[in-house]
This record gives sequence, structure tokens and C-alpha cells, in this order.
Amino acid sequence: MKGKVVKNQQLNDKYFFLEIKSEEFVTQANVGQFLMIKPGSQDYTHDPLLRRPLGIADVKDGKFSLVYMVVGKGTKLLSEFHEGGMIEFSAPLGNRFTLLENKRVALVAGGIGIAPVFWLAKTLKTRGCVVDLYYGGRTVDDVVLLEELKENTDHLIVTTDDGSAGIKGYVTLPFKENVETYDMVYTCGPKPMLQTVSEICINADVPVEVSLDERMACGLGACLGCIIYVKDGDEIVQKRCCVEGPVFDGSKIAWDKLI
Amino acid sequence: MSDRLKTVFCGIEFKNPIITASGTFGYGLEYAKHIDISRLGGISVKGISLQETAGNPMPRIMETTSGMLNAIGLQNVGVDKFINEKLPELRKHDTKIIVNFWGKTIDEYVAVARILDDADVDMLEMNISCPNIKEGGIAFGTDPKMTYEVTYNVKKAIKNKPLMVKLSPNVTNIKVYAKACEQAGADAISAINTLLGMSVNIHTRKPNIYNVTGGLSGPAIKPVAIRMVHETFRTVNIPIMGIGGIIDWRDVVEFGLVGASAVQVGTANFIDPEIPLRIIDDLDKYMAENNISNFSELIGKVDLTR
Repeated sequence: MKGKVVKNQQLNDKYFFLEIKSEEFVTQANVGQFLMIKPGSQDYTHDPLLRRPLGIADVKDGKFSLVYMVVGKGTKLLSEFHEGGMIEFSAPLGNRFTLLENKRVALVAGGIGIAPVFWLAKTLKTRGCVVDLYYGGRTVDDVVLLEELKENTDHLIVTTDDGSAGIKGYVTLPFKENVETYDMVYTCGPKPMLQTVSEICINADVPVEVSLDERMACGLGACLGCIIYVKDGDEIVQKRCCVEGPVFDGSKIAWDKLI
Repeated sequence: MSDRLKTVFCGIEFKNPIITASGTFGYGLEYAKHIDISRLGGISVKGISLQETAGNPMPRIMETTSGMLNAIGLQNVGVDKFINEKLPELRKHDTKIIVNFWGKTIDEYVAVARILDDADVDMLEMNISCPNIKEGGIAFGTDPKMTYEVTYNVKKAIKNKPLMVKLSPNVTNIKVYAKACEQAGADAISAINTLLGMSVNIHTRKPNIYNVTGGLSGPAIKPVAIRMVHETFRTVNIPIMGIGGIIDWRDVVEFGLVGASAVQVGTANFIDPEIPLRIIDDLDKYMAENNISNFSELIGKVDLTR
């Protein structure tokens, strides 16, 4: 698929917000899915070679948004797209979050894990849920789009490791205090955080869905590069993050094999 | 689509010379959701073994300059599950099916080959060149005597299907291996498999791949593949399927000129599943514009005069 870049805005030193127009993509997209996006605009070079997997951060008015962090060559190139430029990407890929109605839910996001959580918060809100978002980052530069998030949640609890924004400390601490009040928890971010959130949920007997991120070559289930280990009774089975995920039941993941 | 792309390889008629390479196209069915796989000349499915294989621990892949490293470890569902669950679905698509297979011992190679020889597939591709598992594959592909032994024994055991042997580039002289295959009775050669490589994360000082080393593929390896197909073509009389870094129609023509009768597209499938189909269309256009009535006219036509 191809779409026109509507906006490629730098949010701070690390983060960018990319908005792309594509009716075709938008009509197929579900909350929790991701896409593989071509980082450069050139056809005459093959470096970087692979498309990059990014979670869909929002969908509205025939446009979709992505939030990304510049970490290497691919995302640097992505940040250089200008408004009006054409960009290539895959169809929406992977499974989706389970969307509840009229329930109390908590979303726990860490750093760049905010991307799929942003659209999820908006969607759950329109479905009548009470949405609390616990959003943690290392510093003030790792927590973005706070105004928009405040509008689309009932409570926004921000934490940073150094206290430069919100409460100082890990995001899992304020979440743990309230976990029993929720019907469902959704989380996306670094794996140690996802593991802690899942363990808190298991102990409190609250269902938890985690959105995982792995290196991927194809995003289609063929390369077998993005294996996730999942408990199936006494056995541990291999799932592909791209097609059987990226959303998994947090209580079933074999975290020890994953990290 | 015109007849000019029609390619006869080991007596099998492919609708075009573009086949998707083993390990990059799953069992075909993963891609059937995204593209019309019946437009492909053929599909070489993920390497099959006697038993289901879990593969290596993570991380398994890493992008490198114009290429990627992988150490998947030949994860596959095993030959029985492949034949019973994957093959009937794949057969619904009108394309040729090549089954890549491997074993840990000669007996295992023979056993898998026998089963596949009686299955509804078109051709066998014997993998003696996977760099990522110790006991299988590469041990047979980097010792000419072993190459001969395994090829001879498998060829003797099968009656119905052509046998193509996929060669490793991780050798000093590929001609020796090509010759060993031909002498042992192989019907064709596919070349090349991935090049053994490594990459390290300078911050953690750990290898980027759990297996430490992995197989390098993608456009980065194409010149090596071109050279090795060229050398193989000038050494043996059996047909060659060229593999290594193909991303567009120009690459296919280049492989043809050094002696490939057909090609396999690999890593490019990961970038965009449309690429093999685009190559077919572009190749047809190039041949029409240059009055080439069949791809076979290009085979080995590299001009070496100085």
C-alpha cells in the first residue's frame, strides 16, 4: 500500500508523530494491529533493507498515525519524510486487542509502548469504559502526547524514573495499588515492565493482554524471526509475534524464555 | 502472460523462471493471504525434516547493510504434518511445488526423500548447506565426499521426482561440490545458500544473534552468488537454479547470463510480498522489448571476451 504523509512532527528529541492518509489501510485496521513500513523513499538503494514494524497509534478521517522513536538508520530515514511525500507500507497485520464495553480498564504503557495504547484508550472510551492510563518513561522526554491522552482517558497517571515528569519511580507501583479495581488490563512497553504488570494481574486475578514487540523481517509469519514462547498446559509452545500476536494473554507468556 | 517466460527445468514446466526460495516463503500459505501465489513459477517450501523441529532460541534475525543475518535453525512442522496439513492446501494453487528437505544423518535424508518422492510434489531440493545447525546440513555441504555420499544415497532411494542439491557458498571451491553432485546423480543444482556471518551489539558486547553466527542473505551477497553460479555453470552440465540477493528483474537477467536456468527469490519476499510478482511482470516486459522469445536464450550468455 501507499499513502501520503500528512504530518511527520517531531515531538521531542526522541519521538516523532507520523500521520498518513490511506482510506484502504484505515478501512482494514483494527485496534492492536501493526504495520511494516518502508523507512526510505528510494527504490534504487536496498539499505536499509527491511520494512520496520510499528504499532498503529490512531485511526481517524481516512488517516492513520504512528508514533516512533529515532533509534537507528531506518527510523532516522523515516523522520526525514516531508509532508506530501508518498510512503510505502503493508496492510494492517496481526491480531487485535479484546475490546470491552462499559467496564473499568487499566492501560499500562512504557515509553514507545504508548503507540498502540493511544488508539486503544480512545476506542475503549467511546465504548463506555472507564479508562485509567498508567504511563511511564525514563525521563520527561519519554512521555509524549500527554494533552491528547488526558482527553481520552479518565485518569492519566504519569511516572518517570528520574522524576522529571509525574511521579518518580516505576509505573508498575501506582498501578499495583489499584489493580483489583479493574475488569481488564492492557499493556505495551519494555518486556520487564510487561512481565511485572502480568504478574501483578495474575496475583490479583485480573485478565491482562500484552502487546509484544520483536525484531521482524516479514511480519507475515514466514521468516520465523519473531518467536514468542507461550505456556500451553505443561508445555511451552512457540508462537509468531506477527501473526499469532502481537497481542497475547499476559498470563500465558513464558517470560523466562523471552527475556 | 506470454509463453516467453515458460521454463522447462529438469523436465518440469514452470510457468515462469521465478521461484520463491526456501525459508523465505513459509509453506506458501502465509503468502497466499497477501498475493496470488499461483502466478509464481514455483515455491520452494521451508526445509522439511523427518521430525518436527523447534529451531534455535531467540534472537534469530538481525538486519545488516543491504542484507540480513538469520539463524532460525530449520524450524519446521516435520514431513508428516507437511504432507497431511500444508500440502493439500498449497496444491489448490496452480504453481509448482519444490520441497526443500534436510536430515541429521544420511539415513534421515534418505527417509525424508523417500516419503516426499511418493507425495504430491513436483521436485525435491536437498539442503546440505544450512549454516545454522551443527549436525545437519552444512556438515554435508562442506566436505565433497559427504556431498557425494548423501547425494548418491538419496538419488538411489527415489524414483519419481527430480533431485536438486542446494550448495553452500561457505567453501573455498564450489566447483568441487558441484562436480560431486553431478557425479552422484543429482538432476540439478541450486546455489547459493546463505553466507556465514556475524554481528555484535557494541553496547551490550553480545552477538546480535543467539546462535552467535548466522546466514547472510539479501542484495549484499549477490556478487558472491553470481560468481558461484558462473563457476558452477562452467563445471557441470546439469541445470542451475540461481539464488542470492535477487530483488528485481535485472538481477534475474544477470543470473541467467552466468548460467542459471531459473532463479529463486528469497529475502526480497520479506521486504514486500509483491516483489516476486513484480519481477515476473518486469522480466516479461524486458524480454518483449528485447525480442527474447524465451528465458533460456539468456542462459550462460555472459560475454567474457576482452
